Amino acid sequence: MANKENTEVLKDEALKKQSFLNILRASLPIIGLIIVFIVFNALTKGNMWTSRKLILNQIYVVLISAVGVFFVMTLGGLDFSQGSIMGIASIVVCKLSGVNMILAIVGGVVAGALIGAFNGYFYVNRKIKSFIVTICTMFLFRGFIKYMASNSPVAASMKVYDYDTTPIKLGITVAVLLISYVVFRFTKFGINLKAIGAGEKAVMFAGVKTDKVKFLIYVLAGAITGLAAFVNIVKNGSATANVGNQLETQILIALVLGGMPISGGAKVRFENVIVGSLLYIVLNNGLIMMGLTTQAMQLIQGVIFLIFVAIFADRENLSVIK
Amino acid sequence: MGEIRLQVIDVSKNFGITKALKNVSFNIDKGEIHALIGENGSGKSTLTNSLTGIYKKDSGKFILDGKEINPANQVEANNEGVSIIVQELGTLDGLTVAENIFLGHEDRFVKFGIKNTNAMNKEANELLKKYGFERIKASDMIENYNFEDRKLVEIVKATYFDPKIVVIDETTTALSREGREELYKQMNRIKESGNSVIFISHDLPEVLKMSDTITVLRDGVFIDTVRSSAIDEEGLKKLMVGREVTGGYYRSDYGEKVSSEVVMSVKNVTVPGLISDVSFDLHKGEILGFGGLSESGMHEVGKACFGASFDREGSVTLSDGTKINDIPTAIKHSIAYTSKDRDNESLVMNQSIRDNICLPSLTALANKLHLLSDRRLKKFANKYAETMSTKMQSVDQFVSNLSGGNKQKVVLARWLGKDSDILLLDSPTRGIDVKVKQDIYQLMDKMRKEGKSIIMISEELMELIGMCDRIIIMKDGKINGELERNKDMDENSLIAKMV
Repeated sequence: MANKENTEVLKDEALKKQSFLNILRASLPIIGLIIVFIVFNALTKGNMWTSRKLILNQIYVVLISAVGVFFVMTLGGLDFSQGSIMGIASIVVCKLSGVNMILAIVGGVVAGALIGAFNGYFYVNRKIKSFIVTICTMFLFRGFIKYMASNSPVAASMKVYDYDTTPIKLGITVAVLLISYVVFRFTKFGINLKAIGAGEKAVMFAGVKTDKVKFLIYVLAGAITGLAAFVNIVKNGSATANVGNQLETQILIALVLGGMPISGGAKVRFENVIVGSLLYIVLNNGLIMMGLTTQAMQLIQGVIFLIFVAIFADRENLSVIK
Repeated sequence: MGEIRLQVIDVSKNFGITKALKNVSFNIDKGEIHALIGENGSGKSTLTNSLTGIYKKDSGKFILDGKEINPANQVEANNEGVSIIVQELGTLDGLTVAENIFLGHEDRFVKFGIKNTNAMNKEANELLKKYGFERIKASDMIENYNFEDRKLVEIVKATYFDPKIVVIDETTTALSREGREELYKQMNRIKESGNSVIFISHDLPEVLKMSDTITVLRDGVFIDTVRSSAIDEEGLKKLMVGREVTGGYYRSDYGEKVSSEVVMSVKNVTVPGLISDVSFDLHKGEILGFGGLSESGMHEVGKACFGASFDREGSVTLSDGTKINDIPTAIKHSIAYTSKDRDNESLVMNQSIRDNICLPSLTALANKLHLLSDRRLKKFANKYAETMSTKMQSVDQFVSNLSGGNKQKVVLARWLGKDSDILLLDSPTRGIDVKVKQDIYQLMDKMRKEGKSIIMISEELMELIGMCDRIIIMKDGKINGELERNKDMDENSLIAKMV
């Protein structure tokens, strides 16, 4: 009996140790965010805090589009076409902004959703790995963007500047985050999504229409980025040939910095999106304020990215990137 | 007692907080078949995996012929004279039969950095011939052969170099009758040559028949080593469980009339290459068994009835006229399915017990706004996990950490929660110990009495005979006979129709 109690105590201790490690892992991004923020404020002698509005202004587009990719990555897929989706949708928003602003928003969302459906069709129906499909669409639609915006940028109607206010941009961002959070945490759709990331075949055998879910997620990711394109145009007023360039990489880095396991599944948390996007933008701006060159910044980003992937990769589940 | 071949001294192994082995010590003699038995999670496989270098033990020693061995992987274990045949498929796709046999030992055929494929194939063919497996050709790709033949290749791979110890880990559950006979033959051959076999099996009659000595483990602790001639099945169960196993194992009723009400009608179902023209009716409150060799197509019958078969022809119709053609429709109409491939098709491994249990019931658990609350899901999962008396820390635990029996309990808890009326159970007790088996049989009997209908597909003839109202025997993808529940039925009457 004494022996049994003894093992119980050992078990408890081991459990505590394990859950401590898990908590540490889960809180690393947020601790990182706080530390990075304090360090950069100290290094820039408070410059970062004074220019917080400028920094906040940069976060909307990345944060909104990251939500869509977050869903895609939760089910174990990847999406590299986000930058091109942003580009096409931005051009559509510009062209339609002269007609009607509501139409411009809807147009952007529909354009994004259509490209998402294009991705989804090849991924789900033609069974091509998602990162191959989306790399192809990235180049394909980047080609269209260059064709349409190379000679001169596509300018939006001057009316868009009326919408360039913090309440509107912040409002759209918060609305997207809130709705997505509820869908992710408290609906069947959200739970199915995580389960597909953890083991698609068993989920199919539990009666989930996995193909339909996968297709819809790509459409949704496209649509959300289409909405982000409106915010982008409101901020910038026109779409150049480079609009949305490298957005996909920024999103990927942001999500990984937020602690997102790269193969999706059960360990994914919604906080990953928010903390990650904040951390990415603060880090980026901090480095710029420190006076680093673009080349040096890319180098540092690469190193940080690698470290975070190494920490958060779910090694039991790595083989299932779809 | 003969001379000692292997001494296991104070071996311990922990997985995180789980103590899989606690100071286990015993000896294995030369020229004996030494069985290792115990319930799921008792540490049998952990012990043999530590011996063969698949896991690294935490403490203790393995002493083989007076010399301590400490292999870091299977190839090193082979070189020390220890080999293993595992439960699941242990051969690799994309390689030839010969390459599989000599995997990790290719150096023997390499000269100046170039592999002599001909010499390798020649030697492999000679080995296959020696074992009497001439129909397997060394130069063929391994995936051209079925599960059974691949197991035979594994036997050659594990034994051709005359290892001093061969571990056979629950291999027989995956084999058909002929495959088992072949394995038994090889086990006896190894024994006669003076080498030793460590034999892990859940099938107690088989253990008693084949082994000379039996070591029992329980919860990672050594319980006893006994001579097979000095103990019977009941005695072994008692040692494994730690108390008397009371009550009937299977159902005990005979001659009960099954309702004539048909709940599911299967007509002319064909799945190309697997089953052809299968028709039968399932009645209310009936347990309908499907038996046959593992390649007979019986496993596909379960999938076909669940709407999960690819390219199925024919029809599966419920009493209300609903046609079952896809999985969501099947589940919506109260059909449950447990797969033979539990880890891939029945469970989401890297997911909590909670989500695994709730998965098909999410629509029912949502409120009017289609929202789900964590509390409600947890309560639901807890209720059914506890009904099944699943051993777990909490429902938030990942399924991948559970033992085989507890995994199956989670699968069954899921369908209990869904309150399914038709259950398609494919190999429900595969790789599961006595105690959990008994629980599952009792659950099936209870469900039957509640008017639920069960199709039980199994490779274990005794459980089909013990549990089913009717047994359909499959052969080569077709129905080859049907037997009614009968007190005097024995395995031979089934085998006659299987082969």
